[in-house]
Amino acid sequence: MNTLVPAIGFGIVTASILAVAGVGFTLQFGVTNILNLAYGDIMTAAAFIAYLVTSAGISVWLALVAGAAFGAVFSVLLNRAIYTPFVRHGTRLFGMIIVTIAVSLIVQNGLLAIFGANFFSLQMARPSSVHVGGMVFTSVQLAIIAIAIAVMLLVHLLLRYTKLGKAMRATATDPELARNCGIATDRVIDLAWAISGTLCGLAGVILVMNVTAFTDTTGSQFLIPIVAVAVLGGIGQPYGAMLGAVVIGIASELAAAVISPDYKDVVAFVILVIVLLARPQGILSEIATRKEVAA
Amino acid sequence: MSVAWQFYISTVLIYLGVDVIACWGLNLQFGVAGLVNFAYIVFQAAGAYTAAVLTLGPAKPAKLGGFQTYVGGASWPFPLPILAAGLVGGLLAAVVGGFAIRRLRSDYEAMVMLVVSLIATSVATNQVGLVNGPNGLALVPKPLETMLSLSPVGYQWMFVAITAAACVCVYWLVHIVTSSPLGRTLRAVRDNEQAAAALGKNVTGLRMLAFVLGGVIAGVSGAILVEFISAWSPGSWLYPETFVYFTAVIVGGSGNNFGVMVGALLVPVAFLEATRFLPQFGPPGLIDALQWILVGVLALVFLWFWPRGVIPERRRRFPSAARSDQKRSLIPTRTGR
Amino acid sequence: MSQPADAMLVARDLHRQFGGVRAVNGASFTVPSGRITGLIGPNGAGKTTALNIIAGALRPDAGTVYYQGRSITALPSYKVARHGIIRTFQVSSEFAALTVLENLLVAAPEQRGETLRQAALGKRYWRPQEQADVERARLLLARFEMSAKENEYAGNLSGGQKRLLELMRGLMANPALLLLDEPMAGVSPSLARRIEQHLLDLCSEGLSMLMIEHELAVVERLCDPVIVMAQGRVISQGTMADVRADQEVLNAYLIG
Repeated sequence: MNTLVPAIGFGIVTASILAVAGVGFTLQFGVTNILNLAYGDIMTAAAFIAYLVTSAGISVWLALVAGAAFGAVFSVLLNRAIYTPFVRHGTRLFGMIIVTIAVSLIVQNGLLAIFGANFFSLQMARPSSVHVGGMVFTSVQLAIIAIAIAVMLLVHLLLRYTKLGKAMRATATDPELARNCGIATDRVIDLAWAISGTLCGLAGVILVMNVTAFTDTTGSQFLIPIVAVAVLGGIGQPYGAMLGAVVIGIASELAAAVISPDYKDVVAFVILVIVLLARPQGILSEIATRKEVAA
Repeated sequence: MSVAWQFYISTVLIYLGVDVIACWGLNLQFGVAGLVNFAYIVFQAAGAYTAAVLTLGPAKPAKLGGFQTYVGGASWPFPLPILAAGLVGGLLAAVVGGFAIRRLRSDYEAMVMLVVSLIATSVATNQVGLVNGPNGLALVPKPLETMLSLSPVGYQWMFVAITAAACVCVYWLVHIVTSSPLGRTLRAVRDNEQAAAALGKNVTGLRMLAFVLGGVIAGVSGAILVEFISAWSPGSWLYPETFVYFTAVIVGGSGNNFGVMVGALLVPVAFLEATRFLPQFGPPGLIDALQWILVGVLALVFLWFWPRGVIPERRRRFPSAARSDQKRSLIPTRTGR
Repeated sequence: MSQPADAMLVARDLHRQFGGVRAVNGASFTVPSGRITGLIGPNGAGKTTALNIIAGALRPDAGTVYYQGRSITALPSYKVARHGIIRTFQVSSEFAALTVLENLLVAAPEQRGETLRQAALGKRYWRPQEQADVERARLLLARFEMSAKENEYAGNLSGGQKRLLELMRGLMANPALLLLDEPMAGVSPSLARRIEQHLLDLCSEGLSMLMIEHELAVVERLCDPVIVMAQGRVISQGTMADVRADQEVLNAYLIG
């Protein structure tokens, strides 16, 4: 019992990171219909940007902003320069998957070429510990949780109450119709990539704020729980991703505490398999079994 | 030809054979049946581990000088470990296919398979008792080494012969599938599964068949590879390796067994071998990283300009009516109304 | 509801909803053998959903489908097809990377060489039957005047040619009952007339059909009997004349 409560604490932190990452990933798919498997590597790239910033002596919070901004800009450019041209060229769905994985490899190995196969850490001030209930958090972890909650709120407000949000929801629900009605304009698509890219960059930085060291493969490894979260919540459903993040974040930390730290990813994977067997569209979505849809 | 060159060429031929076999298996799953198996390398790895474990004998405990731990262990004579590897590859495909081959969008399915690949690497690395964790298995005895007393070069060429024999067998398998009505039905399922089902085709069953056969072939390729290089660790089968095979299939011509052979020659062998002759520059690992970037770019370039590959899928034509007119006149009952 | 002696397919009290929408809400009808039965109704009446249920593409929430006396409700679509119920699609669903002839060959029922074991037995085992199927396919192509397109990739055909291919492919499967979903949708009037003639010929040769069609003039020419659906239910069944006189039908079409 003594190990469970702190594990739940870790779980909340992991869930926070997963929530930001998962919502970004699932939004990207929901609005643009592209499963961007380069997502994890863009997270890593943002982490490296943050690393460069903190190595220059700048505060980690500015590094966070830099990483998020990088995520946004890179994602928009990636879509404009590569994804959309390929879609317009007539590339089918499984061709697009190869495109995204090609991009993933290029980004990941680009980072490897630039930084080398080492482990890196963000330069941060030594965080203080805070005790809440039976759980121990560092101030950095509390900040991560706060950031995640703030981001979730902002996403919710965006989707519910802004014109852009409504346009994104419409495009996610019925892309063909949205295009015909002039809703799914290039501008909306760009903004959708910018927003999900921001979340991606942000997630990359807070991910490495929470670990002792990271390397070029850290982000792509994180795809395991991200995909599990997205599938569990229903691919394309941001609220589902939030739910999924809590479930998987806490479950994987509990497994790490109770069984072994190696089992964190296995738990996410097992949940993924169960969802695929029982309800492949996830908790909230109808999308996964849809036929080919052009972006 | 000098011994050094013989070694080099025979080694390249063996790698080529292994890659051709692997590409044929992937082509069956992807080119013919339309399954996007981004965990393909896991099946090759399963075959490799199986063959290794069945050749190494039981794990020696540390106090007797053993340095690797793994499950199982036997000392089966060649070619049993290779056959067992194929079997394991097929069984693993049956298990994975059970949850992964659902009526899902192809890119969704690919994403799931990618995660399967990541988790497999994670498990193999972390569960040290399984296949010796990150260090992997080593000192796998080579087949027939002690039985035939050949010079090292002679042994190399013998191994080339083994690889060639395996190629012939695998080619027979993929050929009978792709050139038969079964192959045509698989391609129909690939093109439009709803229409295929509406014509009475058991889509799930057919996909499983292609998936399992691909798994068997992948396992065999892994077995041959491990028997040659005598070692196998998680570093040998990271998920980008699947991508190399996919690029080979796409560049060569997905759906065409000969095209895929060309792809295997061009991508894993020629492209990646070519850099072997470059002078070392930069920190270690830089050339590897650049290689991977180039493979990614190559895939993008081919997908843009030549998505059907160098030798695309052949258009099937059937003998002209003239010849069969003769047959018809011999069967008086089949006249039109 | 009594079953006439030549009832081929009976749908009893079918229900199916999507989210909150009751697409099919207690539909019952009979499809007799040897006729072209029309299935008509205003948009949203549930016709395609009913067809999908019969074809096994959708599971009904309630109700049963009987084919020649046996229930086929729970069967998946490929098993329904193997019973001889072949359906075509409203949106042409050709096998794009296969040639026209190959598209037809795929449809041939009980082919040799379609299982792994049979494929392993080699060409000598399955080639003769494949050649016989090729001949049958060629006869079909000749009948529909598409012989010249035999080796064309199905994906390269024009819209009208794809509709013809859809129909030919269905016929190649040797159906006992052909389910047609708007077979002439998006087709030029002259080609539509030709397809109509083909359907009449096939019917006189003994093929039973259930056809969803929205153009009433076509239904008048081809279909007897006619099933009218509106708002998920069957509101009338009978000859076109009976149905035309039915007040409920008139109301449905005026409103719906």
